[in-house]
Amino acid sequence: MFLALTLAVTLAGIAPASGVTAADRPNDGGSTIQVTWTRSPDEGIIGYRVLRRADGAVEWDTLTMVGRFIARYNDQAAEDGTRYQYAVLAVSDTAAAVSEPSAWAASKPQWYNSERTTALIGSLIFTFLIVFFTFQARSGRKLFIRRIGGLDAVEEALGRATEMGRPILYVPGLSSIADVATIAALNILGEVAKKTAKFGTPLIVPNRDPIVYTVAREVVKEAYTSAGRPDAFNPDMVFYVTDQQFAYAAAVDGIMVREKPATNFLMGMFWAESLILAETGASTGAVQIAGTDAIGQLPFFITACDYTLIGEELYAASAYLSHEPLLLGAIKGQDWSKLLILGLIIIGTILQLTAGVPVIDIF
Amino acid sequence: MKFWDKLLAIDRRWIYVVIWLVVMIPLLVPFGIKPEAMPPVKMMFAYIDTMPEDKALVISVDYTPDTEPELHPMYISLLRHAFATKRKVGVLCVSSVMSLGLAESGLRQVLEEFNSRAETPEDSIVYGRDCVNWGWSTPFITILLGLGERVTNVFPVDYFGNRTDTLPIMAGLKNYDDMGIVVSIAGSSVPLSWVNYAHTQFGVHMGCGITAVSAADFYPYLNSGQFTGMLAGMKGAAEYEQLTAEKMAALGLDWDLQRKGTEAMSSQTAAHIAIMVFILIGNFAFFITRRRKQ
Amino acid sequence: MQRRLPLLLVLVLGIFGAAAFVIPHPAVRGVDEVMRNDVIRIITAFSLVLGVGSIIRHHLIKIRRKAEHWPFSWVTLITLVVSAILGLFGGIDPASPGILFRAGGVGRFLGTFHIQVLYENMMVPLAATMFALLAFFMASAAYRAFRARNFEATLLLIAAFILMLGAVPLGRMLIKPLPEFAEWILTVPNTAAKRGIMFGVGLGTMATSLKIILGIERGWLGGGGK
Repeated sequence: MFLALTLAVTLAGIAPASGVTAADRPNDGGSTIQVTWTRSPDEGIIGYRVLRRADGAVEWDTLTMVGRFIARYNDQAAEDGTRYQYAVLAVSDTAAAVSEPSAWAASKPQWYNSERTTALIGSLIFTFLIVFFTFQARSGRKLFIRRIGGLDAVEEALGRATEMGRPILYVPGLSSIADVATIAALNILGEVAKKTAKFGTPLIVPNRDPIVYTVAREVVKEAYTSAGRPDAFNPDMVFYVTDQQFAYAAAVDGIMVREKPATNFLMGMFWAESLILAETGASTGAVQIAGTDAIGQLPFFITACDYTLIGEELYAASAYLSHEPLLLGAIKGQDWSKLLILGLIIIGTILQLTAGVPVIDIF
Repeated sequence: MKFWDKLLAIDRRWIYVVIWLVVMIPLLVPFGIKPEAMPPVKMMFAYIDTMPEDKALVISVDYTPDTEPELHPMYISLLRHAFATKRKVGVLCVSSVMSLGLAESGLRQVLEEFNSRAETPEDSIVYGRDCVNWGWSTPFITILLGLGERVTNVFPVDYFGNRTDTLPIMAGLKNYDDMGIVVSIAGSSVPLSWVNYAHTQFGVHMGCGITAVSAADFYPYLNSGQFTGMLAGMKGAAEYEQLTAEKMAALGLDWDLQRKGTEAMSSQTAAHIAIMVFILIGNFAFFITRRRKQ
Repeated sequence: MQRRLPLLLVLVLGIFGAAAFVIPHPAVRGVDEVMRNDVIRIITAFSLVLGVGSIIRHHLIKIRRKAEHWPFSWVTLITLVVSAILGLFGGIDPASPGILFRAGGVGRFLGTFHIQVLYENMMVPLAATMFALLAFFMASAAYRAFRARNFEATLLLIAAFILMLGAVPLGRMLIKPLPEFAEWILTVPNTAAKRGIMFGVGLGTMATSLKIILGIERGWLGGGGK
């Protein structure tokens, strides 16, 4: 169709786009060429067609059509190492005009994404701080950790359950294992299971994700073994329910109403079902300890539960419960990183506001 | 004194009964509450009301039956506003096929409202001349970009199987240039894609109708002018209904049509007030019992 | 070995995953994507079998022991089997029937009972019912929780009140600029607090990942490893 367009032609008097450039997109895994152009000065343009031809080909292929305000396109269908040439066809209601072709360009993959240098440096500093304080903790230095009400209550809640002869319900969130909140919830589950093993309290762990279910079962089993009570572990403690959000909520609500657990743990990632779980739990008179990093669900837990671990407290919880010095060291590293970020924000704000230094551009 | 203690530890089922009643009763017997339009709704209304007569209102029905109660009243009101002010209307679906039924039933309802009251042929709204339902097509991005070139290329046939290039309305509705505004009504983030492809690339004015819970995500785009107006949740629907009803009354079309958004607002208002009263009672009882203990 | 192998795997794959963040080259990114997409899918498929086994065993035990409300376990098991058969062999809807609904299949006894019918007429209303419970639970939770016990609770109470009033036409009738003030609360103090929590969450996420990669945190292995 565009056979005749290898030359710049102007039909019915509309001006074509000009200055078409093509170059490999930096910092990527290859296969992408960035095409840019200067838009046609004419009013009546509807949009632009981007044309491409490979080295040796005569015909131009149409890649796409973009709107009239657009002056760039990423061709993601380029083959690494093949040279391509691009042209842009300005289209109006009745006419079309093609630009001069661009210079030849080829795409290639890069070994380092320089746009992520800031993130890399930040991560390295963070890793250094965590490792540094972990070594300090290993060398026997005492580390201070502030009291977290919700976690102090765990021991007491377990005692209460044992006294009343009622079970403990542990919900490890509704997300998959890829969610760090789920992993944090499983870490806490390990600590809670060690304690239920010690006290001989029944434990109920319903699951929504099949992978989380298999991991949770291993966690509980190992915890019972390390507490010296492998005989007390019953594989039916940890079970899979369904992956349907509200069906899961209905099932857990049913367990709360039927089994009347003395304590409900709601840890990990939650969505709209958070209040449905927490409020049903509250109505059965259970002590409820919740923890999530889902900011939208925090208000529901705070209103309906006795204790709520907010955001990072969820991550700190397993260290707190296990009193493992190495884990406390990591928390200290985390706090120093936070201090560092706070300091940078304050200094950056002052510099930007008073001296007009464009701090944001550095990142 | 025992009364206050009892009140503090009231069986929550009483609360459930009250909430059920304050939601149900106003749904059955709405009380007259007059919504006052907020700026995002007013902006949308004013734009459609004053856009050139040859420009069309295009509505992208991108919601599905699960968000129908909140979003369908917006669609109905927009259609009424356009037909009352003699604007051409194009309707399409770009996200889910499930939206098709809603798009069709809404259009049929409003056509019926106008045509059953029409006295002259000029008063009636004729399908194919004054409005068109292009139906559904995919893939999404191709449609959004293709509409910038020629509507009839993207939708060769309409919802009923008519060839679009034979419909009289299409002569003056070639591409985005002929659309005064495109309003995307959705329970998802589809309106943002409309901004990315239709507004940013072709400069067409965009409006959106969205659920109340997702409104916070859309405000930045409203503030930046990428959306010309925004209807958020039941409240936004009720406000648009109010503006449309006022406009229709001014044009002599005082028909007293059903306004589902406004009716549901009674229920929503009653529920909000009930919860606030509960909180007040709870605090009152709390203070009295605390004082007594001291 | 049983301990060392998972720890070693986590160390190697963890560092690899982090490296893929700064190395876009297909040699690294490609392997990373296979791990993230394909391997996870395969593991999920296997664990789903374990999951279904778990739910069947859980309910069979209940039935055998005649635990409280045991007849409901039959309901669960029967619906599990019926929906699985319909889903696997029944096709999606009358337009694309599966083996069950083809000529001579048992479909003629089932009429239009396809998985889509099951979904639209059972799953959707049941899920909507659970969701609708929120209206009731919000009211009862608000009644118990929003009490002016101390300074923070009072602040929470006042903010909640302003937001609720601002969302209904009554708010504008009582105090003219109330809806704007409610919006300010949402966009300024609320966003500030959210960002604060998000910083903590971000660092916590990184720290937890790092602890697991370096083998400091072994809670996920059952708290052992000492």
